[in-house]
This record gives sequence, C-alpha cells and structure tokens, in this order.
Amino acid sequence: MSSRSATVGPFNRTWGAYAFLAPALLILFLSLLLPAIATIGMSFTDISFLRPTNWVGLDNYFRLMADGRFQQAIGNTIYYTLGVTFPTMALGLLAAVALNRKFPFRIVFRTIFYLPVLTSLIAAAVVWVYLYEPYSGPVNGLFVSLGLGPQPWLSSPNLAMTALIIMAVWRDFGTAMIIYLAGLQDIPEEIYEAARLDGASKFSILWRITVPMLASVTFYLMIILIVQSFQVFGAIYVMTGGGPLGSTETIVFQMYQTAFGYTEFGYSAAMSTVLFFVILLFSLVGTKIMRRGEA
Amino acid sequence: MAELELSGVSKTYGAFNALKDVSLEIGDGEFAVFVGPSGCGKSTLLRLIAGLDPVSEGQIAIGGKDVTSSQAGQRPIAMVFQNYALYPHMSVYDNIAFPLQMERRSKDEIRAEVARAAQIVQLSTRLQDKPSKLSGGQRQRVAIARAIVRKPGIFLMDEPLSNLDAALRMEMRSELTQLHRRLGSTMVYVTHDQLEAMTMADRIVVLNGGRVEQVGPPMELYHNPANLFVAGFIGSPPMNFLAGTVRSVDGATVSVDALRIGVVTLPFSGEHLYAGDSVTLGVRPEALELGAGRQVQFSVVPEAVERLGLHTIVHAGEEGRPFTALFNGDPKLRAGEAINVSVDRSSVQVFDADGISRSRRTEV
Repeated sequence: MSSRSATVGPFNRTWGAYAFLAPALLILFLSLLLPAIATIGMSFTDISFLRPTNWVGLDNYFRLMADGRFQQAIGNTIYYTLGVTFPTMALGLLAAVALNRKFPFRIVFRTIFYLPVLTSLIAAAVVWVYLYEPYSGPVNGLFVSLGLGPQPWLSSPNLAMTALIIMAVWRDFGTAMIIYLAGLQDIPEEIYEAARLDGASKFSILWRITVPMLASVTFYLMIILIVQSFQVFGAIYVMTGGGPLGSTETIVFQMYQTAFGYTEFGYSAAMSTVLFFVILLFSLVGTKIMRRGEA
Repeated sequence: MAELELSGVSKTYGAFNALKDVSLEIGDGEFAVFVGPSGCGKSTLLRLIAGLDPVSEGQIAIGGKDVTSSQAGQRPIAMVFQNYALYPHMSVYDNIAFPLQMERRSKDEIRAEVARAAQIVQLSTRLQDKPSKLSGGQRQRVAIARAIVRKPGIFLMDEPLSNLDAALRMEMRSELTQLHRRLGSTMVYVTHDQLEAMTMADRIVVLNGGRVEQVGPPMELYHNPANLFVAGFIGSPPMNFLAGTVRSVDGATVSVDALRIGVVTLPFSGEHLYAGDSVTLGVRPEALELGAGRQVQFSVVPEAVERLGLHTIVHAGEEGRPFTALFNGDPKLRAGEAINVSVDRSSVQVFDADGISRSRRTEV
C-alpha cells in the first residue's frame, strides 16, 4: 500500500471515488444532461429536419410570449395541476390516517388503494374512456340512477379537463397515501397520547398535531405532484387528444404536437425549455422551504 | 389534589398477565413512587391510571369518583413522559397552552396561566423557542409546565429523568421534590432507579412480575423488607445474601448455620421457622464494620477494592456468589489480603425458604 502524505492533492486522494462514479455519471450525462443541453440549444434554432436549420436567437421565445394557444395551454396546465394536486393530497391524507390504525384487513385496503398506481397508465386511460362513455358508461349510469342527467364527460369543453382530473386523482392518491403513511409512522405514539391526555378531540389531534407534523411530507408531496402534473401527457393523448376545442391541451401535449405534428422542433424546444426552468424553479424553492422548515 | 384508589386492577395482553390484582391507595398530596425492574408492570399501571390503556379487571377511582371507563382527557390527571412528548412544531408557549386551548379558555386566561407555569419551571425567557432549541432538562421542564397548567388532581410521571445525564438528574430530582411541596399535589412517579425512589417518595410501591411486592415509606422498605426481592432491590450496593440452615429455634431467636459466618443466633419474628429449614440471611454492605467490634464476626478476602473517597466498596464474592462491604472513609485495604468484618445481630435479616422475611421488625 502506498503511504499517504499531507502534501497529496485532493484529486489524488479522491480519484478512486470518481472512478467508481464514472459509469453512472456517463449514463446520466448521455441520457439526461446531453438531451437537456441539446434541447436548450435547439430552442435558439428553427430546426425542423425538413429544411436547412437557421440560428434564430430568442425569436422562438418572443413568439411564445405572443402565442395565444400557448397561453391557453399554460392556463389548462395550471388548472389541471391545482385540480389534481390538492384533492390528491387531501384524499391521500385521509386514507393514510384511516389506514394507519390497526383494524382487520387494513393491508388489503392499503393494497386496493395503491393498485391504481401500479396499473399501466394507457390501460387505465382506456378503461376510463369506457367509464366516461356518454350512453353506456357506468359513470353516466350512476348519474342517471341518482336522478341527474347524463353528462358529455370527454366531449364537453367545460367537463373534459375535470374528467381528466378525476382520473388523475384516482390514479395518484395511492402514492400520496403511501407517502403520508410513512410520515405518520414517524410521529411518536407518545405525542398522540399526550394530546389525548391534554383533552384534545380526534379532530383537534388531526388538525393541531398530525397535519402540522406532516408539513414537510406535505410539502414534498406537493412539489412532486405539481412537477408530475405539469408534465401530464399520456392520459390526454389517449382520452381527449387535447380537445375538445383545445380545452385539455396542456404544455407538454402542445410541445408534442408542435414537434411531431407540425415538425417545428425548434419552437417546441423553446416550450420545453420554459417548462424545464419553471419546474426547476419550483423544485429549488420547494427544497429551500423544506430545509428551512426542518431547521 | 385527589386521592387515588386501585381495587383488584389486572391487565392482560393476550395470554400475558402484565398486572395481577393490584390494590392500592395513594393519599391526597402524597408522593408515591412505583419502582421495579424492567417489565415489572410499573409503566403499564401508570398508563391504566392515565386512561391510555383500558383495565382488564378491577376499578380505578380518583378523588372518590370511579374513572375506570373515563377517557384519558376526562380524568383529573396530567402526565409527564420519559421522552417529554412535546409537540415539536409548537413553541414552548403553545406547548404549555395546548391543554388550556383544548378547554377553550379565554386568551387572557391562557396567557396568565402559561406565564405562571413558565415561572414555576423557570422558562419565562424561552416561551417563543421551539422545543428543538432547548436542552433535555429544559424540555422536561416544558412538559412539567404543560402538566401544571391543567391543575390536575394527580400528576403522573413516567420515568421523567431517565433521558437526562447524571448531574442534571440530581438537580431535577430536587426540583421535582420542591415542586411537589409547592403544589401539594398527589404525584405518582414511575422509575426503575431505586435511588430516585428512595430520595423522592413519601411511599414506595415495589412491583415485580406484575404484582405489588411491598408498599411503604423508603426507610420502612430499607430496614424491614418484606421479602428477598425487596431486600435485593432497595439499597445500593444491594444486600448480601448468605444461604443457611436452621439449627434450632428458641422463642424469639433462631440459630442458623450459614455460609461464611458459621453458626449465629439471631432475633426473629418467632413464627414459621423450624429446625432443618433452609433460610437466607441478608446483610447490608453498609451494616458491616471492619474489625471485630460487633456481635457477628467473620473474615472475607477482597477481590477488588473501589475507593470513592467518602466510602470504600469491597467486593469479596466467592464461588460466583457476590458479597459486598461498604466502609466509611478510606481504610487501607488491599485485594487478596483477608480482613475481619463484623455486624450487629439485629442487622442480619432472616428470610424463609419462600423468600419471606422472618426478621423481627425494626422500628423506623
């Protein structure tokens, strides 16, 4: 073995660590960093693979700012994100609190609630298209049996986004439940016992003890749900194709259409870059707030 | 303030009997300490009194009122936990105020009560801090203040000093004793540390295997232990036990042939001992004297000598049976060199084959 002296430089001491990290770093660079850099680069061009590519500077970004369709997509994305994130968290929390208690078959319930997360998105979307079917779909069947009229779930510009949100909440609340369950198990039983002795009701314990003590979990969940909702594509592609009348066209769906429908890869790359920085900003702010909360 | 009465209280978990037929009365304003080894049921008993777990059998009454089926929050008690159980997301103020907020008291009233409790536990300057900013001792004070504001009939304390270091434990021990004197409340305190029990209790309840072994003031338990378990548990270093056989019984004295000390005649209660019975003699390490100045004399060979300045502890175990002597000061003793020791007859306890004390009772 070679002896180590105080004069050895840092790299000489740490090259072994870099060597072990190199394969993983190389894969990350090729699969994540390189495409990201390439996308940012493409956003300054009019690349379409059908004609010669020109450098256009910030033109794509100026065009985005004036693009009414893009602004509608932003609005739709925000509506979808808010619609999915908060109900998912609320339902996930309620399910977690209920299933954190000891009662028979609770593992069965946990599994049932988590199953949607494990199903294939496309298969689930196809099933939901059937559920929302206006004439023979079970959802309208239920509505009719309750005395409410049948609704054109996926074909009405007013309802299509809500229908997508319901499906997303069904699919995602299992994730929220599992994360909240992990958070709940970190709260010592003694804290609940102290609250019971202090005369707190079940609701007070939930509102004054459980919810605040899950704040960092809630924040983490909120960030991942927001980021995930910003990137929604699969369900829209299968269920509505962005319609009717662009009412379910979100940023990622529009990016896809712009790139692969209209072959405007440069313009689509600019959309992608904007979305990338918005998500990055959310993640950074979220992480910072979470760290401050932990301190 | 309130008295506590337990009648035939039992607790079972499946086939396991954690507590068996515990009956006990703790007087108004009394400081009672439940003491015993791990798993003896002392914390379980406290949780039953608190209402955190339901009793399997028996009744619990506080202030003359049956609370056996009352919810924890409805009982006139407050509890201090070993791990403090503070609400980490709340400030010290909110932690202390929480029970009052649950009672929907007015803000002014809450402010006054919190200030009073914080002053008692000397935390008035830390009210806006989160518990994570406080030391272990300060956190335990917050927990005590949270208990004080409820003005409970009974304070329940579940090993509240176990997480503190030795110096702080000593300080808090004295603070809790003063607090008890100041508030005059009934306190039920659980500990596995017999030193805490001896120094703080008006009365000690010794538990073992889910049963009450003995109840009494600290010095009563020290001088007149009811059985071998209490004799071995109360006192530090623990009592020495020497196996022996009864040679003869004569009225109020019994002649015993015992290991190490040979044949010795001792005073006893006058009942339940007969010639030929197996007995155990108990000698407290601190009852032994160097030299032959007392009535019962024998010699031991120290295998280790621990000098603590105020005391010297001599370990002189033989064939796996421990034997300890504690002498005042710093006598010149060396491991391996035999020494003569002696003890008064009245300081030697006699236990029958079932471990029950047959000694004559000493007035305490």
